[in-house]
Amino acid sequence: MIIRTIAGAVALAISIAAGPGLAAEKKLAVGVADALTGGGAVYGLPQANAVKMAADEINAAGGIKVGADAYKIDVIAYDDKANPTEATNAVRKLIDRDGVKYVLGFCCSGSTSAVASFIAKEKAVMLVGNAAERSITTQKIPNLVRTRPPADYTGQAAGTFIARKGHKRVAVVGALEVGFYSQYVDAVEKELKKAGGEIVAREVFSLRDRDMTPQLTKIRALSPDALLVVGYVEPAAFVYRQSVELGINVPRYGFTSGSEEQFLRVTTSEQMEGVWDLRPTELTLLSASKNGIAYHENYARIFKASPSPSSPYAYDQLYALKAAIEAAGTVDNTEAVAKALRSLPVPPQVVMQYQPVDGKMFDENGQAYTSNGAFQWQKGKWVFVEDLPSDAKAYSLFLGTLK
Amino acid sequence: MNRPLTTLVWLLAFTALAMLPQVLSVKYYLHLSILALIWVIVAQGQNLIQGFTGYVSIVQAGFMGIGAYGSTLIGIHFGWPIWATIAAAPLITALFALLTGYPSLRVKGHYFAIVTMAFNLIIVIVLVNFRELTRGEAGISNIPKPWDGDRDAYFYLALTLAAAMTLLAALIARSRVGEILRAIRQNEDLVGAIGIAAWKYKLFAFVISAMYAGLAGALYAHFQGFINPEIFGVAQSLDAILAVILGGTGTIAGPVIGAFLVVFLPELLRFADSFRLILYGLILVLATIFMPIGIVGVAKTVLARLHRPGARHDG
Repeated sequence: MIIRTIAGAVALAISIAAGPGLAAEKKLAVGVADALTGGGAVYGLPQANAVKMAADEINAAGGIKVGADAYKIDVIAYDDKANPTEATNAVRKLIDRDGVKYVLGFCCSGSTSAVASFIAKEKAVMLVGNAAERSITTQKIPNLVRTRPPADYTGQAAGTFIARKGHKRVAVVGALEVGFYSQYVDAVEKELKKAGGEIVAREVFSLRDRDMTPQLTKIRALSPDALLVVGYVEPAAFVYRQSVELGINVPRYGFTSGSEEQFLRVTTSEQMEGVWDLRPTELTLLSASKNGIAYHENYARIFKASPSPSSPYAYDQLYALKAAIEAAGTVDNTEAVAKALRSLPVPPQVVMQYQPVDGKMFDENGQAYTSNGAFQWQKGKWVFVEDLPSDAKAYSLFLGTLK
Repeated sequence: MNRPLTTLVWLLAFTALAMLPQVLSVKYYLHLSILALIWVIVAQGQNLIQGFTGYVSIVQAGFMGIGAYGSTLIGIHFGWPIWATIAAAPLITALFALLTGYPSLRVKGHYFAIVTMAFNLIIVIVLVNFRELTRGEAGISNIPKPWDGDRDAYFYLALTLAAAMTLLAALIARSRVGEILRAIRQNEDLVGAIGIAAWKYKLFAFVISAMYAGLAGALYAHFQGFINPEIFGVAQSLDAILAVILGGTGTIAGPVIGAFLVVFLPELLRFADSFRLILYGLILVLATIFMPIGIVGVAKTVLARLHRPGARHDG
């Protein structure tokens, strides 16, 4: 009894001493809808991990500060299997049942487009990560922003790079049934044609294909002077492996965003040697800033695996959201937060190297742009070789003209 | 159960469902209920060809896709009102079913299943590659929703149509056509031997089944506001088969129960995180092994035992 009385008195004394100046600690539920299982999980799972890691960091640093309150972030993650119906169900559950106002993640385009089709009517803000389908940010949805640039923004830069290497006959093998991969290839083709080159083959593989020898045998017969591989990591890795096995000895370019660890599950470092990956300047240790190096170390320590190069798109979402909430001064008014996101400078904590448009991280379409880079596989590692020519402002204007 | 009691149970079930928008405070469950009602239509159609006729078709989701894209594209390109496009969807699907049904139904058993699965794959390939029309894998967004997306109103639309389609399935099952379909399931050669052109009835069941799927597809498109080919793949056709098997093959109540199960079960298992699909698969395997006659079949067996004379003394 005496102990209880003393404890009560101490608690009362602390609360009086702290007075109104001490921030009240509250919880802010943040949802993640992403592919945690299935083919898309190579991108979705690292994204969900990245959001959790960012939340832990923000919480450890005192949370999101809104006026006198500090909000600790509580992450609720649901698997959408990269499937449109599942994604809709997951986000409905987050918004309707869990009361979430901010939904992050979204690695894959089909599931993201499904959610984007109704999010404008919700009192919620959607932050899209790795999903690269262009139309996601051509709809001018006021409460949607995306950290990853669209695929054709990168494809244009990649096409210029390949053309500069002097290739005239490029064979493509990839997941061309997926909209954003074909948009990437279309942009490459446009730049190649400007330089007098052409695409001599467009061979398709699906997400679950593992035997690419039919496509590669056909390509070999065409004697191209370069091979371009676009698609998810695993099938792309099989293409690289089998192209060596079939003796296709031409420079190989790709658009995959896979980590070393993900490629080495399928192929060997020798089979990957010399492969180029032409993609947004995502995370590799050599291209990384201080933030990137810290991110890599922390992720590897916490999750016992290397982060996928695209995973910081989701990590950056949470820091952008934090900055927007603090700028708007509210967690409840999602309209104000969505507006604040569109006028946000690039927060200092982000990992990706964003190219702000008019000083803002997201343009009027809700789209962020990173620089594009040429990475090459050298002795077991992706090595950043050079920046690819990219004009974020010009692309932003072009994106604004699309419907 | 006798007929008045069965009718009473159906009325009670309908009334209970009709009260859901008032009872459910969390709209997420209403969202799932709408999806489940759409799946009731899919499963009732599947039951006509699979349960009553004995032909396992693996193209139901493909037909759903034809209905969904048909309704959406007519709306976009011809400016038809939503109601007209939804009404047109089963007719468009029927046309495709007629074209595919005639060659498919020349084979039986596993071969029929394989042929229909191939049709589903072809439908998806066309939807993916005919980009000028379907926008390919990226899908079609912003499909107009009636009542400005009001979920309560859409629930009643889905409920009304699901009830009407269930009633129609019951009428078909009880008609002479239904009797012939069941006879085909039990002994198709005998049906032919007594002078009945079995192929006409099989084609009828196949086309009607597709029309159900087409209607469900249109409802799905105008509910979700987004479609892409992935939604209408073979995996979803297998879900339609599962709904029928789990609920009770060849019964009217079975597809209703099965449809709710295939929609709600994976969602209720979200607590299991990455083990969710393993758990879902395990439940399905166990249910199929231990309840091959489905939930309705088990319920009927239990009721029959309870009503058997002297059942109370059986211990």
